Amino acid sequence: MNPTNLSALTNAKPPSAALRRLTLAWFAIMFLLFPILVLLGLVMRAGQSNWLHKLSPEYFYAVMTLHGLGMVGLWFVAAMAVLSYVLKRYVSVSLWASRLAMALTVLGVGLLIACTLVGKFGAGWYFLYPLPLHPGGAWPAWSIGAFFAAIGVLGVGWLVWVLDLMRAVSRRYSLTASLGWHYLRGRTEPEVPPVVIITTVTLIAMVAALISAVIVLVLFLMEWLKPGFTNDALLMKNLTFFFGHLLVNLTLYLGVAVLYELMPAYCGRPWKTTRYVALAWNAVLLLVILAFMHHLYMDFVQLHAFQVIGQISSYLTSVPAAVVTILGLLALVYGAKVRWTLASLLLFLGVVGWVIGGIGAVIDSTIVANLRYHNTLWVPAHFHTYYLMGVVLMLMGAVFHVCQELAPMPENPGRTRLTIVLLCLGGYGFLMTFYYAGAHSVPRRYSSYPELLSKGVTAAQVSTFFIVLFLAGLVLYLWETGKRWRKAWLLP
Amino acid sequence: MLQENLFYLFLILAGLAVAVFIYVGLSTRRPRTLEYAAVNHLRKRLFLWFTGILVLFLALTLPLMPYPNAEQRPDRVIHVDAKQFAFLISANPITPDEASGEEPVDQPTLNTGELIEFRVTSLDVTHGFGIYDADGNLLAQTQAMPGYVNRLRYRFTQPGTYSVLCMEFCGMAHQVMRGSLKVVAADTNKAKP
Repeated sequence: MNPTNLSALTNAKPPSAALRRLTLAWFAIMFLLFPILVLLGLVMRAGQSNWLHKLSPEYFYAVMTLHGLGMVGLWFVAAMAVLSYVLKRYVSVSLWASRLAMALTVLGVGLLIACTLVGKFGAGWYFLYPLPLHPGGAWPAWSIGAFFAAIGVLGVGWLVWVLDLMRAVSRRYSLTASLGWHYLRGRTEPEVPPVVIITTVTLIAMVAALISAVIVLVLFLMEWLKPGFTNDALLMKNLTFFFGHLLVNLTLYLGVAVLYELMPAYCGRPWKTTRYVALAWNAVLLLVILAFMHHLYMDFVQLHAFQVIGQISSYLTSVPAAVVTILGLLALVYGAKVRWTLASLLLFLGVVGWVIGGIGAVIDSTIVANLRYHNTLWVPAHFHTYYLMGVVLMLMGAVFHVCQELAPMPENPGRTRLTIVLLCLGGYGFLMTFYYAGAHSVPRRYSSYPELLSKGVTAAQVSTFFIVLFLAGLVLYLWETGKRWRKAWLLP
Repeated sequence: MLQENLFYLFLILAGLAVAVFIYVGLSTRRPRTLEYAAVNHLRKRLFLWFTGILVLFLALTLPLMPYPNAEQRPDRVIHVDAKQFAFLISANPITPDEASGEEPVDQPTLNTGELIEFRVTSLDVTHGFGIYDADGNLLAQTQAMPGYVNRLRYRFTQPGTYSVLCMEFCGMAHQVMRGSLKVVAADTNKAKP
């Protein structure tokens, strides 16, 4: 890290009116969908608490599907929107792809709502083959078609957006420069900010993930529409988790890219690309592509070499994260004159969530531990930790930062503290019920629990209290951010 | 139970991480200059220690992988066909009539101490075959996948009735998909005709 060029950190170029409006429109989608999706989570946990006797399994699993796909999709588009906004300092971001992605996202979400809440489609967010085609009478054929259409529409919109952002980066930086390879050779010119390197690494992997999703979709459609054609279940599962794991993991990295860009301004210190940063993120590109294999540990017919690669790559992915990014953030903050605001606190706390979720994930990625944890509530425990208390907090901080930058208003320190306390208490309290239940062998994705798994009922009951606390914190956040959003929206 | 011990390990590690973040967060109350050389020195040490610990854990845990060892023969083979929403468990391969429900499956009684190989497959969607003891602890599992047979080996040490639960979401009655395994002390079973 080089302490020069501090002034460059805070001189963000003002956005064009079109980019501002488009970014704010994405934020509005987030403000609307996030509380609804949290409420769907609350409905599920209340159902598992035996408090909603009218919540049939059909509706539980339809809600579960909508909640999962909704959250994964929402935070991917939120990350892309924030990233497109902050990248304006370095590259010329075009707006048409973002607009197309927004139109197709709205269409896709509409189709998802129709097929789940009306059609009761409930195959889960990663729709593991061949469940969507075997509804057992629970969902009609039209909802299968609507679901595949939704996935197709979202996949196309997001792929175009990702490719366009890559195009924008490539117009300013060569591929080797945007991957920071010259830093590996000891050169520091041209200067490439970490956000560009992380974006490049992440989007390359994201293209691979979205192409995998397209292949899964085509294979599904072939089996659905062509009688006699049957897919290979193991191949479909590998493709599904290659796509699903990468999409979730890479969304987190998009949040980290934003963190690298925004946090220095609050700390008054630079966070520049070094050989370590370049090396770490190039290593991540290789490791993250292999780590999906840990989802198939319990498929004993999978090549054992793949299982070993899955554990090794899952373990090693944590090395660049810990040694470069997390240590880098701690060094950035340690003893600095940090301007603690709602934005910087959320960004900082998002890294805490990433670390805690990462610990849970590394434990679960140990094959012998996965034998006891696979598909128990330990799984949603750790991915909710690095999602809800990780990338979501980071992006909530970034969204507040952007709104505050566009329409500055004084912060109420007491309200900021209360918001943070409610979000953390509610979030971690909710997560601990998942960890506890996972450690007591309670399976995930059960609409209700038998007597044998009574700890699952208790955990669900306790979790509802914490979800309400989190929602209260979210309302406060939305109130504060919404005021600035409205003012920014009304700017000429 | 392994999973409970790992939970405590998780709590300790997460607690340490939180303590570090709190310490660093509180350090901003007394601003000071950052020694970049010290950070890089710390980074190198952290890299070596962290990577070393991970490699150690890899070396300790990879040999414990639960996959069947071709050189070791099981004492007994049990066939498991999963279907929406039941487990068919038999000492013999499941026949088409048994799979369709036209004939009942003759479920075997298992012995403690035997190395049992469960050959698990699915007749429709992907399921999970999870063995639970009477206290609700998950002992072992494998996936039941259409078109493939997963071989799970397990040695019961205690007699009793074990539950089989579905560990992969498989549809509307996933949460009530059940099976059971009766395990008796080895001597008891041998005494029967």
